[in-house]
Amino acid sequence: MNDSQLILTIAAAVTYGTPLIFAIVGEIITERAGILNLGVQGIMLVGAVSGFWATFNTGSLTLGVVAALAAGAAFSFIHAFTSITLRVNQIVSGLALTIFGTGLSSFLGRAGSEPLVGNPSREAFTAVLEGGLADLPVIGPLLFGHNLLVYLAWAAAGGASYYLFRTRMGLSLRAVGEDPASSESVGINVTWVRYAHVMAGGALAGLGGAYFSLALVPTWQDDPIGGAGWIAIALVILASWRPWRAIFAAYLFGAAEYIQFTLQTLGEPWSNVPSTILAMLPFALAIAAMIVLASGKRARYLGAPANLAIPYFREQR
Amino acid sequence: MNLRLLISEPRGLTPLWVKLLIPILSVLAAGFVAGVFLYITGETPSAVYAHMLRSAFGSSRGWSETLISGTPLILTGLAAAVAFKMLVWNIGAEGQFLMGAIAGSGIAIWLGDGVAPGLALPLVVLAGCAGGAAWASASALPKVYLGTNEIITTLMLNFIALRLMEYLIFGSHSPWRDSGFSTFPSGRPLPEGARFPEFFNRLDIGVFIAAAAAAGAWYLFNKTRWGFEVRVVGDSENAARYAGIKVPGKILGVFLLSGAFAGLAGALFVAGPAGALDPRSLNLGLGFTGIIVAALARLNLLAVIPVGILLGALNNAGPSLQSIGVPTATVTMLEGGILIFAVAGEFLIANRLRRVRARRAVALQTAGEGGGG
Repeated sequence: MNDSQLILTIAAAVTYGTPLIFAIVGEIITERAGILNLGVQGIMLVGAVSGFWATFNTGSLTLGVVAALAAGAAFSFIHAFTSITLRVNQIVSGLALTIFGTGLSSFLGRAGSEPLVGNPSREAFTAVLEGGLADLPVIGPLLFGHNLLVYLAWAAAGGASYYLFRTRMGLSLRAVGEDPASSESVGINVTWVRYAHVMAGGALAGLGGAYFSLALVPTWQDDPIGGAGWIAIALVILASWRPWRAIFAAYLFGAAEYIQFTLQTLGEPWSNVPSTILAMLPFALAIAAMIVLASGKRARYLGAPANLAIPYFREQR
Repeated sequence: MNLRLLISEPRGLTPLWVKLLIPILSVLAAGFVAGVFLYITGETPSAVYAHMLRSAFGSSRGWSETLISGTPLILTGLAAAVAFKMLVWNIGAEGQFLMGAIAGSGIAIWLGDGVAPGLALPLVVLAGCAGGAAWASASALPKVYLGTNEIITTLMLNFIALRLMEYLIFGSHSPWRDSGFSTFPSGRPLPEGARFPEFFNRLDIGVFIAAAAAAGAWYLFNKTRWGFEVRVVGDSENAARYAGIKVPGKILGVFLLSGAFAGLAGALFVAGPAGALDPRSLNLGLGFTGIIVAALARLNLLAVIPVGILLGALNNAGPSLQSIGVPTATVTMLEGGILIFAVAGEFLIANRLRRVRARRAVALQTAGEGGGG
């Protein structure tokens, strides 16, 4: 029963979707502060190489995770500085971060006399909670037998939701994204809130990147994350800026990625559909969702912050 | 109190030398940052940069390859510049480039052998523009008529275009695929009549077409009524609407023009240096590099030409780094660094910094003079 295609697909959705959860939640936190960060792809790559490097040199997964979080936060600081302090164009700044991060991670993986590239990680995240529980029908393979980062992703999504909607700080954060001038007039430090959450979002994206190099394929290779960072930005809309919904958005996309393998096993005529055409499906779905759910004013009803990507000039209040 | 603070205040008119200096400083600053990374990984930055300069400009072959690499970047830079001027965030030049390449090579293969270059080449160019514009319309129409954000749709369409090219070459027996090679799929070479003739090493006339496109775009934006109205929309949509300018039509036109430039880049590339539709030689990130060109050229449509060639020199020098044991990714890092500093430099172009006494700074802040813009 647990070998059925449905269960395998769901398990694959968890495998491919987990790094996206971290990145989507990170981008939601960033956008809720009113800052659009198109640098997710670059931040994830920097997180991936930093996490791998730390674990490779120390043999400690904990240090790998810490390094990925720190690198993601530090790297996204660049975007925070350009968009909050310098108030230049957030779209171009984010793209710059992505290009720089892509180059930097590939460079760090190949540079030096003993490059990382091609080396397996000394440690990798492996399945926990295996055995008895994982053999339960249906819910066994869904809830158990994943690696630690999968559960950490659930915790991040749940925690971020609680933070955003049930705490005072979360309220301040949402207020800053909606209307920074009013927020400041009630004593919220807009600059500080924005810096903190851009960097927190970057830290999560960095961890999402490290999932690829420390859990999914624990060997360093150029560009280990595919287009995950770009996809995460699109999935923020499907998650309608609510962190807990990131789980569903990410797993839906993960399942859509796996569907090409599923169809291959179903036999004729399904196996005749070319895999390259099926690989378009998730992106076509993202566009369709974008047009249907978030066109025009609908984006605001969905949850888009009113001041997203608009620089805040305190003196023009 | 002699404490002095640095404050920023908006400039009225930015002097020309500042506008020229900031992009140059951006390149130098990126070189410094990449140099730090080269240094800590055990390389000598000056030696690496000297090697890059030599391979990009040190020989006639280097020059021709630099111009070849620069040609698509002039056009993708143009694609980004015309769109960004209008605050149309087309970051799908990547996909539009590929669709231009698919359309251009498609018509060349359909025409087949024996068609005169005088007929085939204009058709390839037109097909490329049409392919790019059509792909852009998939984002432009929802944006203009439904208000759909174009950033996400153009991004996602990049992936779809890439998969489509992979389908044509790897996943099917399409006319684009070379039927001769069954073991390892590759693109079918374009017929001789649909290839741009080479005149200086491998350089073909594509570089002139790209430069002419930039000059034409400059004329269109600066010397025609349409261009004037477009600039008004770019400055203030409300002002344009009050003046009776039909804003949606202008946005649509600029978006399609942007896509056409990217598509033209793809067609010139496939009928020029690439010679066949092949994912390995076309998926180079030229669309994203065009955004760097546009930003460094400060959206000036003529400046796109020299800046495109400069970035072409960088791309050209990249592979030669392998021979001295330096990762090719150094170039991507440099280009990303250039873009970070170029966009940050916009702050210094819009504002000037001044050191004032602390008490005066506070007075300026409370009077609402400092900062803003």
